[in-house]
Amino acid sequence: MTVAAHPARPQAPHRWSWVDLVAVLVAAAFLLPLAYLLSVSFRSPDQVLSGSFLPEAPTLANWPAAFGATALTRFIVNSVLTAVLGGIVTILIALPAAYACLRLDKAGERLISIAFGSFVAPPIVAAIPFFFLLKAAGLLNSVIGLALVYGLTNVPVALWLLIPFLRRIPREIEDAAAIDGAGPLLTLVRVIAPLVAPGIAATAIIVVILGYNEFLFASVFTFADETRTLTVGISLFQGDRLVNFGQMAAASLAGIAPIYLIALLAQRWLVAGLTEGSVK
Amino acid sequence: MALAASIDTVEAPARRRRWRLGNASLASPLVVTLVLTTLYPLVALVALSLSKSTLGKPLRDWAGIANYARVLGDPAFLASLWRSAAFALPMAAVELVLGLALALLFHRLVKAGRVFTSLALLPLMTPPVMVGVAWKLIFAADGGLLNGWLRTTGLIDAPMSFLGSSTWAGVAIVVADAWQWTPFVALLCFAAIKGLSEEVMEAARLDGATAWQRFRHITLPLLVPTLAAVFLLRLVMAFKLFDLVYVLTFGGPGFDTTTSGFQIWRLAFEQFDVGRAAAATLVFVGFVSLVIWPASRAAKRLEARYT
Amino acid sequence: MTSFRDHAFPIGRRRLLAGASAGALGLGLAPFGRAFAQAKRFDGQSLNLMIIQPHVVTGRILAEQWETLTGAKVNVTAVPYDQVQSKATLDVQSGTNNFDVIDYWYTGVGALANDGVVTDVTGWIERDKAEIQPDDYLRSLYDPYTLADGKRWGLPYDGDSHLLFYNKEIFDRHGLKAPTTWDEYRDRAKAITEAEKANGIYGAAILGGKAPIIIGSTYANRLAGFGGRFLKEDGTSALDEAAAAEAAKALKDAAPFALPTPLETRFEEGLPAFLSGKVAMIEFWSDLGVYAQDPKGSKIVDKWDAVRIPVGGKNTTPRLALNAGFGFAISSGSQKQEHAWEFIKFATSAKTGLELLLTTGSGIDPDRASTLVAPEYKAFAPKVQTALAGALENGLPWPNGPESPQLMQVLADELALVLADQKAPEEAIAAAHQQWTAIIGS
Repeated sequence: MTVAAHPARPQAPHRWSWVDLVAVLVAAAFLLPLAYLLSVSFRSPDQVLSGSFLPEAPTLANWPAAFGATALTRFIVNSVLTAVLGGIVTILIALPAAYACLRLDKAGERLISIAFGSFVAPPIVAAIPFFFLLKAAGLLNSVIGLALVYGLTNVPVALWLLIPFLRRIPREIEDAAAIDGAGPLLTLVRVIAPLVAPGIAATAIIVVILGYNEFLFASVFTFADETRTLTVGISLFQGDRLVNFGQMAAASLAGIAPIYLIALLAQRWLVAGLTEGSVK
Repeated sequence: MALAASIDTVEAPARRRRWRLGNASLASPLVVTLVLTTLYPLVALVALSLSKSTLGKPLRDWAGIANYARVLGDPAFLASLWRSAAFALPMAAVELVLGLALALLFHRLVKAGRVFTSLALLPLMTPPVMVGVAWKLIFAADGGLLNGWLRTTGLIDAPMSFLGSSTWAGVAIVVADAWQWTPFVALLCFAAIKGLSEEVMEAARLDGATAWQRFRHITLPLLVPTLAAVFLLRLVMAFKLFDLVYVLTFGGPGFDTTTSGFQIWRLAFEQFDVGRAAAATLVFVGFVSLVIWPASRAAKRLEARYT
Repeated sequence: MTSFRDHAFPIGRRRLLAGASAGALGLGLAPFGRAFAQAKRFDGQSLNLMIIQPHVVTGRILAEQWETLTGAKVNVTAVPYDQVQSKATLDVQSGTNNFDVIDYWYTGVGALANDGVVTDVTGWIERDKAEIQPDDYLRSLYDPYTLADGKRWGLPYDGDSHLLFYNKEIFDRHGLKAPTTWDEYRDRAKAITEAEKANGIYGAAILGGKAPIIIGSTYANRLAGFGGRFLKEDGTSALDEAAAAEAAKALKDAAPFALPTPLETRFEEGLPAFLSGKVAMIEFWSDLGVYAQDPKGSKIVDKWDAVRIPVGGKNTTPRLALNAGFGFAISSGSQKQEHAWEFIKFATSAKTGLELLLTTGSGIDPDRASTLVAPEYKAFAPKVQTALAGALENGLPWPNGPESPQLMQVLADELALVLADQKAPEEAIAAAHQQWTAIIGS
């Protein structure tokens, strides 16, 4: 069986219209604060609040200084590891669960509401019981421990995002697979997942980003440079009396690069990889 | 399809049972997760809230409902509940509309859309503290970017305070938050749009429907489940607003931007009164659930109507 | 019969020579009494130090020196200054006990002692009196920094207070001299702001950001100037005294002429403004003097001066407020109490203190009488030293009991309402006094 191929629309030469203008303006609006941050990263402390977009006397000093002031490279690596590992754990738990809950009707609905209910609470006080739990498991101050925390705490988000995508799949497709003798797991992997590949990719990107940018748990559960993450590192800049905004900006921009690459890859690879395996 | 319905052998019930078991086992990791991330902290929160607890001496003494009484009797905390709602609802609504518009824009641009999608993800990937710092520098009263522009274009002649003004501080936070999270909504809407059946769209186009008609009668209804889910998700996340308040205004001026998330943090990490913070958290959860419930019911009804 | 040589040097000549040279090296490196014995004392061991981010340079220097001295490896963990108490508490509370030596803000000493986070070192201070020289510590800060519940819990290593820094160039332009009273401060600020705000230059930066350390310090400067205090001798609230309300009023009066707006001005806004010459006055820690002389980040090199905090009301004696200020303590869960104590004695000694004072970027201010008047310090930072000496000995301490965090948060909230024009100064102080009485009483 082949993938139902859509006849490709003939590629007309792209004519630029007002919509494109709007798009460019929108892109500019979204990039503006980041461009400003880039400008700030080239300023010394006395130039930061000068009211102009470009620095008057740009300096390159902040970039190497940012890497020297803290263990920035290590922090970024840790952030990537915890976010990606956590994201994998989240998807591995949430995707089958979302699918199963949809099919388990009442019990499934109840599980989902409980999951979502836990998401409502600000995690601030929950950090304390988690701290004790991690300590009991010997996972404090470790990348694995933090990744597990992210993996588990992002499940409600992933569930909530995957369900609408899964819900759109008609039951008949499942029944056809069942006839062929497949169980739920196989159906999920071979049939369902490829159909919702864009949704899985989007969800994966979202939870990885949520883990990458998470601050509270990272700052409470880690206390050595070997295990701290980027967000904690940036808070160290903020936790100084003379906050060096230039260095802070340089550190953040350097930190965005890896996650940006990951998101790009995820978009292409996940969608392509999953759709290639689809069998109808 | 008729084939499936017609196969009604003696295997069917057994197959169905196997499927139920299979589904249950697929959901079992979720159950374990929920025990760890929901049940356990809930028990801990309840225990802490019913006791005299500080960060240094948790569960020191039985306090009964004293913490709850203090929290519910504190006008500052009650005000923070309303404030959280006053921030969350507009923020989620604005981000939903903008995000959908953005997603449609990206979709229309096909090739260039991919570039724009990646660019639009950048705000989402910026560490929240840095989002706060960037906007703080933009909104700064003297020497901020916005003030600089307003002055060079002659719109104002004296520095205007945004983050120190009761009226503008909240707006500033909403703008910063919208900048950070609209791409989130856009990304999800975009994924949903891509999943729409091309054939239906093509058929509609051939039928002579205009872009607006296609959008209103085909695209939008098909997107409703996703939109509802994204709105609710964003709403809940917006209720927990903390990072931007911490960096931009620290709850000020006065208490004008003190949301419940910020208030709880103050209780736990500035005053170290963990018992009261736990009680405040549970009251907050109750409040948010009350607010979300009608929205969630409406969403379910919409989903049922449009699926 | 064995010769004297055999008895005296049984280890053999080569080892003797090696030992002698090591001993000489050790003596040269560590004139701390039992130097030779100490040079190998903690060889191969490690020690975990938690220090606040602004002092991370100090932490690294101390770690290096301790390793040279004793062979022990010091692992330095920097934390943002507003997390230092919760990190130490959670570390002990949870049984993790990762840290051995912790940095603490002195206002938290009561809470730390009450929660059992730090070790009682009263006996050890007494035992090692000769080495520590506790009488050398400035009278006004030794007790607030270390005393809680009748016992001592750590030793000071950084005696912070604010000075009033001003921009000489701007003042000369207007023919002004440094203010000595808060009324003069307000008038100077008003004159400069009204004349130059069109150019973006203001008379003063008032740090009114809502965090207790920020707005609390600004208020404490005025409270000290007006001769007031936070608590009475019996520990009850002193906010009902006249000086408390006067100080709040002085804060409010000068606010309209400050860098817009005081509420938005935290350290990171006020400091760059002063360093770029946009404000004429700022109250800040004395190491601003070092930053101001660094051409890489300052436009006002040699154009500034520092004076004592102005006085006000009936008070005419200059008095500094003990804003911030840090000490080292032993974490009660540490398995290396002795080792930690030896390190703390070294880190807080007069010699180490003086070295750090003379190091740019260390963030350290004087806490001992000997270092405050040391000629090297005077030569290194003459303007700052002149302003500090004679006034720091009489510093105003913040509350340091177990309820201190709550007290300061209440006060910060009320003062922020004043700056936001939502409450009158007298009303706010009265409300704070009421809440303080309730908190202290319970």
